[in-house]
Amino acid sequence: MVRPPELLYAVDETPPAAVLVVSAIQHIAVIAITLIFPLIIAREAGLSGARLLDMVSLSMLAVGAATLFLCIRSRFVGCGYLVPASYTAIFMGPSQYALQLGGLGLVFGMTVVAGLVQVAVAPVLHRLRALLPSEIAGLVIAIVGLSIASLGLRYSLGITGGGGIQPANLAVAGISLATMVALNVWTRGYARMFCALIGLIVGYAASAAFGVLDMSAAIPGEGLAMLHLPDFGHIGYQFDALVLAPFVVAALASTLRVMGDVTNAQRLNDKEWVRPEFRSLAGGAAGNGLGTVVCGLLGCLGSNSYSSCVGLSAATGITSRSVGYALGVGLIVLAFVPAAAVLFAAMPAPVMGASLFFTSAFVFTSGIQMITARMLDARKTLIIGFSFAMAVMADIHHDVFMTAPVVLQPVFGNSLVLGTVCAITLNLIMRIGVRQHVGMEIGPGQDDRSAVEQFLTEQGARWAARRDIMNRAVFGVVQLLEVLGAQSGKVEIEASFDEFNLDVRVRHPGGALVIPEKRPTPREIVASEEGERLLACYLLRRSADRIACRALGDRGEVHLHYDH
Amino acid sequence: MANSPLRIGHSHSGQVCIVSLDGRIDSTNSSEVLTQLNDLLASGEKHILVDFSAVLYLTSAAFRVLLVATDEAQRRAASIALCSLAERVRELFEMGGLLEAFTIHGSREEALAQFG
Repeated sequence: MVRPPELLYAVDETPPAAVLVVSAIQHIAVIAITLIFPLIIAREAGLSGARLLDMVSLSMLAVGAATLFLCIRSRFVGCGYLVPASYTAIFMGPSQYALQLGGLGLVFGMTVVAGLVQVAVAPVLHRLRALLPSEIAGLVIAIVGLSIASLGLRYSLGITGGGGIQPANLAVAGISLATMVALNVWTRGYARMFCALIGLIVGYAASAAFGVLDMSAAIPGEGLAMLHLPDFGHIGYQFDALVLAPFVVAALASTLRVMGDVTNAQRLNDKEWVRPEFRSLAGGAAGNGLGTVVCGLLGCLGSNSYSSCVGLSAATGITSRSVGYALGVGLIVLAFVPAAAVLFAAMPAPVMGASLFFTSAFVFTSGIQMITARMLDARKTLIIGFSFAMAVMADIHHDVFMTAPVVLQPVFGNSLVLGTVCAITLNLIMRIGVRQHVGMEIGPGQDDRSAVEQFLTEQGARWAARRDIMNRAVFGVVQLLEVLGAQSGKVEIEASFDEFNLDVRVRHPGGALVIPEKRPTPREIVASEEGERLLACYLLRRSADRIACRALGDRGEVHLHYDH
Repeated sequence: MANSPLRIGHSHSGQVCIVSLDGRIDSTNSSEVLTQLNDLLASGEKHILVDFSAVLYLTSAAFRVLLVATDEAQRRAASIALCSLAERVRELFEMGGLLEAFTIHGSREEALAQFG
């Protein structure tokens, strides 16, 4: 892992206490936006006043614990990166269905089941590696960014139901977003590090000025205590096989999302990142599942990793795991402070919108960078294009997609899940006919470098190989052909690929080639063709990660290996 | 040459002759580059700037040609400089230990400012 120079505090570094605390508060403020989901369920369940506030407090307690499970670095649980938890729309459909069918008890019981499903899936994730190649992981992250942006825009404009744009909301969101952007782009130090938090505070102030902020609605009639142990009275657990399927689908969708978020966090912390590291993904999935179990036990909705926080860490350059621990503990502590619950429960929609829209840019761009690092042929282009389009359609035609059977609603009702399922399914289908071993021949006396280039480039795109590695392989083979010179017999080129290795074997007339290791001086290169040959051999050796030459009967073989 | 995806062009900016290369340079076409550079030197050009911005890669044959042309320029009291090497092309120069053997500028503008 190579530390990217632009990071202020990388995953294993601990910021000074003041930076740590303020960073944690900043993340908490962004996570608080998602308390809207348990609030919706609580209101639909008829909770109000102190009971409603208790559910908000318990939701903070549960998501704090879930964050610790996600961020911790251990053998089986936790991804080891700053990937906080939050509440998610993924569990909304199944939870609303369970609420109608059996009340809050069924919601909580089935949430526990969903968490256990995730914990059970986590150890076998590495076997599903083919399902999530780098370009598909990038697509998932880009869709996450897009869905956050869509939600952020809706909140920013104050669009609800068939209503139009609310000018006051637009003004508040504009002021809040402009503050975040200006601090992030044109300042350094603390102002940049805490741009989102400052933007949120400015947003609250603007909301008060424009009459959008209504704290009184969140304060219960009996007033607020300084400290308060949330009441567990509304918690009960029921189980019903009828709602099992939607919760299992939501659990799998949640696992896909945490895989995308952990992948993004890995990439942010490694300048030379090339592919997802599956032990960390499995730990993240297990942590995500345990977090959801805790959420169910504490009477809340299922939680999920929060892409906005990963985006926020990219924006601020603080990706320290310690921030994850601090904010997890912070959420748990704040759960016993009713004033915090009121403050978060009353967060104005345009302030939420500005924060979501701001962080979405970093998430989306990260996904696009992961996609474009790979070579893409027609198959991969169709997979990415179709899946991206389906994700966008799920948002645009949400009402139509929600007419799908309840069991499929977690898939069709959520752009991220639909786009991901579409990408994974198409990826499996498109693998049909893609060979991992391919070959070509160059006839005696022929020296068609363009054909070699085309062969390797096209094959690299079919495999979605890394562009830089395929370029090195093209150079290596062309340079080898120069070393071999004009051949009296045919030259066979065979390439094979898996996600970790690219091997090119070139079989040629004559015995085993001898490739000297000496680097010639510029004088030697100019002086004779032997000097040029020495340079050719030296470049050949240096351009491949491993090179081996051997005799095969009356022919020779050069094996060029590239770590992928 | 039939098997040559390399395109060579040249233009002038003040006293500097700019040679633009587009494609890959290997043993099948490196002699074209040498011929072009030698012709320019023979015609009296004193400052030649080779723009590598569109070069995909170059092999040992191309390195030799550039070194030979640089020697020829010195013999004629002229100079050859390179500019705008893409990252992977720069890596090849670095790999061959040849970054020091040439005068290399980051961009065409930077090179012209140096010549000026």
